[in-house]
Amino acid sequence: MSDTVQASPDAAAQNTLVPVTVLTGFLGAGKTTLLNHILTAQHGRKYAVVVNEFGELGVDNDLVVDADEEVFEMNNGCICCTVRGDLIRILGNLMKRRAKFDGIIVETTGLADPAPVAQTFFVDEDVRGKTRLDAVVTVVDAYNVIQTLDESPEAVNQIAFADVIILNKTDLVDEVALATIESRIRSINAVARIHRAQRGDVPLSDVLDQGGFDLQRALEHAPHFLEDTSHSHEADVTSLSYEVEEPLDAARFQAWIGAVLQEQGADILRAKGILNYAGEDQRFAFQAVHMMADGGFIGPWKDGEPRVSRLVFIGRNLNRPQLRRGFESCRAK
Amino acid sequence: MSDTVNDTIPATGLLERRGAMRQLDGQITGCTISRDSQQVAFATGEGDIMVAERADWGQSDAWTVTTVHDGAILAIAPDAGPTGFLTGGDDNALRRIAADGSVSDLVKGRRWIEHITTWTNGKGGVIAFASGRQVELRDADGHTTLKVLEHPSTVSGIVFDAKGKRIAASHYNGASMWFVQAKVDTVRPLEWKGSHIGIAIHPAGEALVTSMQESELHGWRLSDGHNMRMSGYPSKVQSMAFTRNGKWLVTSGADTIVMWPFFGGGPMGKPPAEAGGLPGVMCTRVACHPVHDIVAAGFADGSVLMADTGAQRILPVCIGGSGAVTALEFSPDGCCLAFGSEDGRACVVDLSAK
Repeated sequence: MSDTVQASPDAAAQNTLVPVTVLTGFLGAGKTTLLNHILTAQHGRKYAVVVNEFGELGVDNDLVVDADEEVFEMNNGCICCTVRGDLIRILGNLMKRRAKFDGIIVETTGLADPAPVAQTFFVDEDVRGKTRLDAVVTVVDAYNVIQTLDESPEAVNQIAFADVIILNKTDLVDEVALATIESRIRSINAVARIHRAQRGDVPLSDVLDQGGFDLQRALEHAPHFLEDTSHSHEADVTSLSYEVEEPLDAARFQAWIGAVLQEQGADILRAKGILNYAGEDQRFAFQAVHMMADGGFIGPWKDGEPRVSRLVFIGRNLNRPQLRRGFESCRAK
Repeated sequence: MSDTVNDTIPATGLLERRGAMRQLDGQITGCTISRDSQQVAFATGEGDIMVAERADWGQSDAWTVTTVHDGAILAIAPDAGPTGFLTGGDDNALRRIAADGSVSDLVKGRRWIEHITTWTNGKGGVIAFASGRQVELRDADGHTTLKVLEHPSTVSGIVFDAKGKRIAASHYNGASMWFVQAKVDTVRPLEWKGSHIGIAIHPAGEALVTSMQESELHGWRLSDGHNMRMSGYPSKVQSMAFTRNGKWLVTSGADTIVMWPFFGGGPMGKPPAEAGGLPGVMCTRVACHPVHDIVAAGFADGSVLMADTGAQRILPVCIGGSGAVTALEFSPDGCCLAFGSEDGRACVVDLSAK
């Protein structure tokens, strides 16, 4: 575990890092419309945009970079993960004119798996030193989403990975259908914030500066979702949430989560937790993308906040009771 | 190695005694010296280039700044001729800056121009630049395309061998080597899984070395393709250079100047030597002197040191300064050391006998 959990830069350093927003979504979902909306809105901020080869950006922006989505597999001892090497290079070069923009938006192709983009921010020291991954924003076409989710594992991954989901084209379906869609999305990803939109017209405060990978804000917006205990083993992507009221033994938790990520990292798309370690006055925050994890203390518990440990997994083929037993076995005795 | 540098180092170095400094807007993204060693050029993230004439090396207020690119300059190299420079930018342009300061367009493409290298034997010359997956070779005139070489992924570095017969490019899963004058282009693939992010070639053509994302070096002995692995770095190797005689491969990536022996059977099975450094401060750039057994190294805190590879002596050029050293070069005649930093400091040190 020690080699997968890295210390996070402190809060002061975080503020000087350039935020990077990853924009995913299937072809036709409305990514480009949303991107144009972000770039033309009057917010006084300037964004550099990394688009894929087939992107068609309608606005004039001298900070648009064409990328080829070149993914490679990194071999870091026991951890295997895929990384966007082109992004390392492009972000490095963009940072040479740091003063010219306030943030970076990375648009992926319709079928892209968001994991390599996210993992790039975990593995590359230079990327970590200058930028921070703010959030994965997934644009979904309300009219087609149910069919797309049935047919395409890539679409499921994009929803599972998201910190923010823009449910677009809501004018094309009725309220009953929208409720069904939102419930389907929630069954995959219970943690993401869902915003309804038409033609990508969402307030930018719903898209930018989300802190989706900021430990300080881990599980900040997570609703207390009810655990569906009817299935013990889910083949489809789903969210599992656990709570333990007694304080945890830090070493035992680290060992357990390390083993879980090592063995099931391929199936765990994202994991987040706020942990109550025995003998510690501070909250410990934890997050992971597949096998890559980081964690750190994020300050004392707030007044009135229950001192419980909460952990959320989003993934497939997860054994609900087994993970629960594992998490509970981390209790300090 | 920490015992070679200690508190006894004078706070001032060569820069104060024999150099000049100028602060620019924007990061120094590269520096180079013309082939006749008469002009030093610095490139910035703002698209500017600053030229220091030899007569003005000690007077930084005489150095001239010109805007050459609309965006960051990503690559700079001496022109193939005796004078002038070539620059490539994120405005997708390749431009030539003549000795008189005039700027002309050589390429206006669709991709960033990220790497430029040139070769000359004093009579003819070749210009090479990388843009996306392509490496284009042009005649020294800069306008005649000799060939365009395609690679499987974006090219991360290019290098000519000393005789200008071959050019090699690094990319995902290894490097590709091509003959410059071949009528039919046949690649020699040098394969090794992973992301290769930089390249260097032994001056006698004995080995090709790449830097890898996983903070190690990979090498191929060119006589038989034998693989070499050089690892143990705490961070990625962003800069590497062979010494003039090919005895050592000098690299950044640690808090000492790391030198791999390319003699006596090395580097296989041999530990690297350390030519000095600054405890806890990463080396970010290295350069090898063209005449003497001297290497220069720039560090993450702005410090620059020179070290004698034989006698293990350290000479401070400047200590601290703040921003990381992002550019560092010796002139071809060895009379000048130029360096620049992330926070826009551009420095020239006159090493000539006075």
